[in-house]
Amino acid sequence: MTATADTAAAPAAKPAARRRRGGTGWWVSWLQVAPLAVILTVFLVLPIAAIVTVSFWDYDSVRIIPDFVLTNYEELFGSTVTWRIYLNTLKYVALTWTLTLLIGFTVAWFLAFHVRSVTWQMVLFLVCTIPFWTSNIIRMISWIPFLGRNGLLNSSLLSMGVIDAPLEFLLFSDFSVVLAYVHLYTLFMVVPIFNTMMRIDRSLVEAARDAGANGFQILTSVILPLTKPGIAIGSIFVVTQVMGDFITVRLMSGGQSASVGLMMANEISLLQYPAAAANAVILLLVVLLMVAAMLRVVDIRKEL
Amino acid sequence: MKTTGPTTTKTAGVSRRTLLKGTAAVAGAAVGSGAITGFPTIWAQNIKNVTLRQFGTGVSNLNAVAEKVKEDLGFTLQMTALDSDAVAQRAVTQPKSYDIADIEYWICKKVFPAGVMQPMDVSKIKNFNKIVPIFVSGKLTPDSKIAQGTAPHTVGFVEGKDSTKFAKETTQWMTLIPTIYNADTLGIRPDLVGRPIANWKDLLDPAFKGKASILNIPSIGIMDAAMVCESMGEIKYGDKGNMTKEEIDKTLKIMTDAKKAGQFRAFWKTFDESVNLMASGEVIIQSMWSPAVAAVRAKGIPCVYQPLAEGYRAWGGGLGLAKHLSGLELEAAYEYINWYLSGWVGAYLNRQGYYSAVLDTAKEHMSPAEWAFWMEGKPAAEDIKNPDGKVMEKAGAVRDGGSFADRMGRVACWNAVMDEDRYMVRKWNEFIAA
Amino acid sequence: MKTGERRPVSFYLLAAFFGLFVLFLYGPIVTIGILSFQGPNGGLTFPMNGVSLHWFGNLFERQAVGDFGGSFTRSILLGFIVMGITVVVSLAAGFAFRRPFPGSKALFYLTVASLIVPSVLVSLGIGLMFNIAGIEPNWYSSALGAHLTWTLPFGLLIMFAVFNRFNRAFEEAARDLGATPWQTVRHVVVPIILPSLIGIALFGFTLSYDEFARTLMTAGSFNTLPLEIYGMTTNVTTPVLYALGTVTTVFSFVVIGLAVGGVLLIGRRRSRHGSDAGKGV
Repeated sequence: MTATADTAAAPAAKPAARRRRGGTGWWVSWLQVAPLAVILTVFLVLPIAAIVTVSFWDYDSVRIIPDFVLTNYEELFGSTVTWRIYLNTLKYVALTWTLTLLIGFTVAWFLAFHVRSVTWQMVLFLVCTIPFWTSNIIRMISWIPFLGRNGLLNSSLLSMGVIDAPLEFLLFSDFSVVLAYVHLYTLFMVVPIFNTMMRIDRSLVEAARDAGANGFQILTSVILPLTKPGIAIGSIFVVTQVMGDFITVRLMSGGQSASVGLMMANEISLLQYPAAAANAVILLLVVLLMVAAMLRVVDIRKEL
Repeated sequence: MKTTGPTTTKTAGVSRRTLLKGTAAVAGAAVGSGAITGFPTIWAQNIKNVTLRQFGTGVSNLNAVAEKVKEDLGFTLQMTALDSDAVAQRAVTQPKSYDIADIEYWICKKVFPAGVMQPMDVSKIKNFNKIVPIFVSGKLTPDSKIAQGTAPHTVGFVEGKDSTKFAKETTQWMTLIPTIYNADTLGIRPDLVGRPIANWKDLLDPAFKGKASILNIPSIGIMDAAMVCESMGEIKYGDKGNMTKEEIDKTLKIMTDAKKAGQFRAFWKTFDESVNLMASGEVIIQSMWSPAVAAVRAKGIPCVYQPLAEGYRAWGGGLGLAKHLSGLELEAAYEYINWYLSGWVGAYLNRQGYYSAVLDTAKEHMSPAEWAFWMEGKPAAEDIKNPDGKVMEKAGAVRDGGSFADRMGRVACWNAVMDEDRYMVRKWNEFIAA
Repeated sequence: MKTGERRPVSFYLLAAFFGLFVLFLYGPIVTIGILSFQGPNGGLTFPMNGVSLHWFGNLFERQAVGDFGGSFTRSILLGFIVMGITVVVSLAAGFAFRRPFPGSKALFYLTVASLIVPSVLVSLGIGLMFNIAGIEPNWYSSALGAHLTWTLPFGLLIMFAVFNRFNRAFEEAARDLGATPWQTVRHVVVPIILPSLIGIALFGFTLSYDEFARTLMTAGSFNTLPLEIYGMTTNVTTPVLYALGTVTTVFSFVVIGLAVGGVLLIGRRRSRHGSDAGKGV
């Protein structure tokens, strides 16, 4: 890539010779990022432009009609259900974020500070990755026999005598939805936190210990502040994933709960594209605002 | 063979049928090799290079059909199974991605006006006159009442070759060739419900709290809900298949209250979900398809397709042609459709518990015992096997709901797209979010 | 890192916690594993209806609905294409971002946006765009693009992490010894960051192979594996799905075992040859 970039930049090289001492000309940088820029423009910017456009179109039960109307937004904001669904989605986000953070931090802490060889860290990470190679749809289906009335968990608990009757809340409930989210996204939290933890200078920990800090103090006053960037990055992953999800909510709540993504998916399935597009625009704005807030805590580029 | 009008009276049907048989025989004999299935293989050589892409839900997109097409007709049929949401989307938004669409009639009401499909010339459909009249005149027998909702015949024809406007009466241009259809009702776990079930309202019986389920596809679920509300005597509908806003509100209010009270364990969307819910005991009463009941029973778990006093909610699907089809491909598509109605597929579908469009030809491909069991509601004279050869019902068993006429003759409503569709979907989302 | 002190109590507590976490991750996999041995008449849920290897054999037979072979091939191919493009494009962009250049900030935020825009939205947008433009979507065009909007940000972020802690002294040493820029990249930089590149490749493949929402409206005529499985649930599905899951898991273990073995072997050889490559990560 660099080689081609260099040859291509050759004609422009002479005037830029001085700049080339420190690095290379902008042309080279631009050529290097060109593929990324092109792909993102074609498959992200244009599609979003399409969504924004369509969100102002009209539709009837059979087709979408190019137009400029605000009815899609009016219906969206005018309905109490929109607000309720957003609240419900935010509830899932909050619960999932808290749990993935607690679990993710602990796991990352273990991997970063207690597993001492890089090889073992790698092996343990891979062990955590393997379940994700089985298609998510299959894994979702398998929660029913795991958590259901006659499922693995209930029958084990019953036979151990822990409970007398199957626990019903395990499946098709908010519990199961959040459980599935935690299952899916904790690893997204572990990786960035682990990454920042590995960058912490171990002598800081030593120094704190020498200064008489106990484990808890080291955790709260040394490690936690230094892992903030990782936590922020992990949170961005988790929050945005949960905000946009629809399939997990649908399958794990047994179709009994809604999320913003599911509302969109429903509209899409009934060919109400403009309504779905309006929904998408609002969702996008909400997500961007949330992420912007999180980015205030951390400069992703510097902290990775 | 140039008949265009439907034959609604029995006598005319019989006589014409006899005539048709004669013609087919002559044609078959003349061409030779096609005699077994009755199809002239005019395109014999180059048609083998044709590949047709069909999509639809897994209900009828069966690999066995594609295999048999290859064997009988020589060309390749590529089947893609999708979930029901994706079916409507793909039909409308990616019209070039398929040649043949296998969609439900209520979806057709949305898809066809979008101008992505072309109607079929019924004069090219050999068995057109034998298609069950529900799909032509809307009446199973001349004196039956037409059910509410999007009845297939109301979206079965368009006014002309290039028209996208549904015709009020039968014309020469048919939108979909019916493939499968059925009447749905409540499925129950007789071992767990503990009492006889006779009405749709039993779905909301507090005794089944946390153990009931309905279908979460708005156009279908709303009809289930309407059947329940009407059965409870809570709402009297002008037309269930085309509710007013107030009726939609009232219906979903009742359902929402039930949901909040914890009546439902889950809502299902795919065939498989309904089977898993029932088989695992998560749900003991839910609206269900006949073959799904059979699938639960095949696992050795008791499950009954329960006929109810108020009648059935029916649905039907059919094959439609993509607009871009022309020339040889279009001919191949016609040949495929004619083959589809010629009996082998019909028998295959009937054996799964669905109904097929042309009963006479299907009958020729079924054993008398099978026909008596599946279609006439008689006790099985021998073990009844599914298309894969697995025993589904032991000798002596009787099909739930009885004969074809008993089931399809008691359809109260069809899955529907209403005038207030947009409003209904919003309300449905509210219900789900409640 | 190598202080050699005795393990504190907290180690065992945390190790136990980690064990529970892994157990949790494997919960569904265990269920899938058990149920894939259902008898020929068994279903996707408990109770077990006999025990057999029936469904493993069935995996290689024709299904009533759907086509494992075709969709699996498509998913694997797509996964590899996504993987290749992700590695090359993010490596190139990673180099560029080491220096400031006009537009770098905008492009960076665009990349982050790509990561956070909900999948279903990307899917809808690309579907709409192809529809408006009248282009036929296909798994190797529209779906490929949709997957790349997901894998490229990951790739780039990993590259940032790599180059943030990359010691430029290696490059300067190479340049002082007379290496061309290309030689520097080829023989110095790439070998050092190779493990991370493998990481990006793995990420790219895994994310693409299991992607559902982004493919939903962009796949065109033919399904990828996740879509096919979802489509199959519109008819009676059988424990053959679980057999597929079990086979996938076993296969993954074997592949990863071999990969780890390979890495260990290379590491050992490297240390024997006294190379310091790989220590930068």
